[in-house]
Amino acid sequence: MTRVLVVDDEPQIRRIVATNLRARGMDVDLAASGEEALQLLDARPPDLMLLDLGLPGIDGVRVIEVTRQRSDVPIVVLSVRDLEADKVRALDAGADDYVTKPFGIDELLARVRAALRRHAGAAEVRVYRTDRLHIDLDNMVVSVDSAPVHLTRLEWRIVEVLVTNAGRLVSQKDLLQQVWGPQYATETNYLRVYLTHLRRKLEVDPSRPRHFMTETGMGYRFVP
Amino acid sequence: MDRGVVRVYLGAAPGVGTTSAMLAEGRRRAERGSDVVVGVVETHGRGRTAALLDGFEHVGRETRGLDVDAVLARRPRVVLVDDLAGVGGTLGEDGGRWADVDRLAAAGIDVITTLWVGHIESQHDVIERVTGRTQVVSIPDAFLARVDQVELVDMTPEALRRRLAHGNIYAPDEIDSTVLDLFRPATLTALRQLSLLWVAARIDEPLLAYLDADDIVDRWEIRERVVVAVTSAPGNDNVVRRAGRLARRNNGELIGVHITVGGGAAEAHDDRLAAQRDLLVRLGGSYHEVVGDDVASALVLFTRAERATQLVIGASQRSRWTRVRRGSVVDTITRELRDADLHIIATSSTQPAVSMPRVRRQPVSPRREMVAVLLAAIGLPVVVLVGLALDSPLSPHEPLLALLSVVVVSSAVGGARVGLASALAGSLLANWFFTPPRHTLRVANADDIIELVVFVAVAGLIATLVGALGRRTAEADRARAEAEALARSTVTLIGAHDPLAGLLAQVRSTFGLEAVAVLAREGDDWRIEASSGSPVPASPNVGQAVDLRADARLVLVGPPLSAQDLRLLRALSAQLGAALTNRELHAQAAKAELYAEASNLRTAMLQSVSHDLRTPLASIKASVTSLLQPDVRFTDADRRDLMDTINEETDRLDHVVGNLLDMSRLQADAVDPVRVVVDIEDALGAALAAIAAPNDRVVVDLPAALPAACADPVLLERALSNLLANALAWSPDAEPVRVDARESSGRVVIRIADRGPGIPASKRATVFEPFQRLGDRSQQVGVGLGLAVAKGFVHAMLGDLELDDTPGGGLSVFVSLPKAAP
Repeated sequence: MTRVLVVDDEPQIRRIVATNLRARGMDVDLAASGEEALQLLDARPPDLMLLDLGLPGIDGVRVIEVTRQRSDVPIVVLSVRDLEADKVRALDAGADDYVTKPFGIDELLARVRAALRRHAGAAEVRVYRTDRLHIDLDNMVVSVDSAPVHLTRLEWRIVEVLVTNAGRLVSQKDLLQQVWGPQYATETNYLRVYLTHLRRKLEVDPSRPRHFMTETGMGYRFVP
Repeated sequence: MDRGVVRVYLGAAPGVGTTSAMLAEGRRRAERGSDVVVGVVETHGRGRTAALLDGFEHVGRETRGLDVDAVLARRPRVVLVDDLAGVGGTLGEDGGRWADVDRLAAAGIDVITTLWVGHIESQHDVIERVTGRTQVVSIPDAFLARVDQVELVDMTPEALRRRLAHGNIYAPDEIDSTVLDLFRPATLTALRQLSLLWVAARIDEPLLAYLDADDIVDRWEIRERVVVAVTSAPGNDNVVRRAGRLARRNNGELIGVHITVGGGAAEAHDDRLAAQRDLLVRLGGSYHEVVGDDVASALVLFTRAERATQLVIGASQRSRWTRVRRGSVVDTITRELRDADLHIIATSSTQPAVSMPRVRRQPVSPRREMVAVLLAAIGLPVVVLVGLALDSPLSPHEPLLALLSVVVVSSAVGGARVGLASALAGSLLANWFFTPPRHTLRVANADDIIELVVFVAVAGLIATLVGALGRRTAEADRARAEAEALARSTVTLIGAHDPLAGLLAQVRSTFGLEAVAVLAREGDDWRIEASSGSPVPASPNVGQAVDLRADARLVLVGPPLSAQDLRLLRALSAQLGAALTNRELHAQAAKAELYAEASNLRTAMLQSVSHDLRTPLASIKASVTSLLQPDVRFTDADRRDLMDTINEETDRLDHVVGNLLDMSRLQADAVDPVRVVVDIEDALGAALAAIAAPNDRVVVDLPAALPAACADPVLLERALSNLLANALAWSPDAEPVRVDARESSGRVVIRIADRGPGIPASKRATVFEPFQRLGDRSQQVGVGLGLAVAKGFVHAMLGDLELDDTPGGGLSVFVSLPKAAP
């Protein structure tokens, strides 16, 4: 059974999230502080951690850092902090996804599922097909409405990274480093330019994308 | 039989450690081989004290009270008797334990004992004023006078309160409002001071007796006593102030003395003296007037009589002539004062200005020239007359040499012009009167011609040399002054935060100007950046102007400057330019810092508000979206739970919004309380109901005779509910929040005590700021506003709100309100 560790100092949030996760057949552990969470991390290793940032005692970001020294359990942050800097800090520290409060429970559950999928080592998506869009990573073919589309080398790399992580957030830094190389970390303007090009080529309405989504301040997500 | 030695450990308050000190002393004596027993020790349930007691023989009843007869029968060398004020000894209830101690000492047994300062009889009135309580038990001072040694066990009020808070003094349930009153910082400080003074007075008595008895007038530094000379000289108040600081720093005594010379004739500057007398009193000093023949001797005698350790006088105001005639006060005092330190204070604090000496074309002043002319005009005829009077066998050589010496002197004084003129006059006189043929300007001998030529040459050479020397000296002076001016300006530039004004003042004094100003261009106008002197030149056209930068000018008003002055001015203006730029950069940096600070604060406040509003919203939205999901069937219990959450969190949101509104009312000054008679129990009940506090988490204990308060019922309920909600949020589940109340000097004081983590004293001042809890770490309630709203409302009702430690850990909030008129 999948075990989720919910870390939040608000008992109501703990209760609601636990009720929902249990209703979907998951095993839930609860922690009210970072210290408690780190103990449970060793005592009852979870498959996923849902983590609030504003905790009494040690801060949530520090919890992420310490957790990352011991485990690669997926971490989804759940916080009222909605500033870009806070999100970047949490993701850079090693969080996998970031949900701001208040949140709809559907969205939270979807993010949880996506994070779990990646961790379970689900077979990478190599071929993606809808009525309009067809992407075949193995054969390096992309077509829209059956008409082949030419992608540059870098555009192709971006599509490859996002599609293999379908449904999951890919942080700006990760995307930059996987496509351009390890010495890149802050050149987020590259990403904006290339994603704009990609959307022009692949989306029906580039200003209202359906597949290549920007998560402001955090990164990008390919939504199947 | 010799009387036993009684040693008392005196403490300012319970818990400072007198009993421990007594036991430690007992143990030391026992280790040195003395026969030490315990007569009575009260541990007050303190574990550490009980541990110290381990290993001592206890004579008499173990339970309570001192058994004097048992101790007398046992005859130890030393007996430990805790608390002199204890009752129930052999003399019965009214006798007190001190009488037992007296008996034991009389029997030759050393007694080590303890005492609280509040039990000393002569201190009762003060103690009552300080603590508000009358002490029943008292130790007569006559007995204490017989005590051989008193040792003060001292502890700072802060440390003592920490001990109380940690439960090291009383068990938490023993602490009532009496104890809390006693342990208020102000009370503790007062008690400590009383103890220190009492012990100090005890020490003084034998010492004074000793000093008087042995006629010891040597310096005896016990406590600094500072004597300051009060004079009517201008600037002497600085001397008095310095002496005051000296006394305060050394915790000493300030004594001012004014010496009236002779029969005490009316002083010219009576008002100045009066001002200094007032100043002395304000500084906590005393004022004395002494009549003496001589200021210095009178000062020395007074200093010695007062057993002063320091004598402070102003620097001499006497002119050089008076000093020669009557001697310098300072010299006399230095010679005669052996038993105190002497401080001489400058009476004028203004630094002498360096003004720029001018290099004249004429190196010798006109006055000196005039003197030299007089010298020559008188000296030369005198030499001639003397020479003629002594005339006859003499050759012309001697008069010639005498004339030469007059010429040399006058040229040394008067420089080249006078020198050359007197040389010429001298040579003519010599020729006329002394070289044959006399009374003609003709010269017969070749030798005489040579002599006259040498005469003129020597005189001319000396006169020229003197002139050159004068010029050199003036140049050197000027170079030194220039260097000094530059050095000062550099120091000003480095040392001062905004050196511009200081630099300008230097420029003004250096060049002897009336006024200088730095003007900055502002469009077509000029703005005065900084100035010195008056009238301040408001435009560059008013005086001589020097460009500092493209947009700034230095304007000088006063006598025109020489070429040399201009050279120095250029160097100084470079520095002025730097200072101006420096000032602008500073202003910009300060502004930027202010913006950054304000923006940080805004961010943190927004975070705090967004946390308080969003957290309940998050719970509500998460619950609602859970219930809306079509694909899951929750159990009935879960559904109920989710709906309860929505209900509770809506209330919480309402509470936060209510506090935000209250806060804006307070900040807009829109709170207008009614003041009616309010029963505290009713108000507490309403507040508890408002926050739906569980019964078992709040224990309310009100005295039956608690008077009603004068307050606004609605505001009081909101203040109390905020405080209670806060206390509940921080208290651990197992520890209830305790609420009690009492009447204290016309006010009703409500205490809400939690056992949470407490607030360190250093942070207490800031917790009442709205949004003090910055960021998003929180507990249940909107702590960001709760305390601020509570304090605002309590103040609006003319009440007061204070924080303190809960003994044993936690925070106590005290709300005091005016008592309602009966």
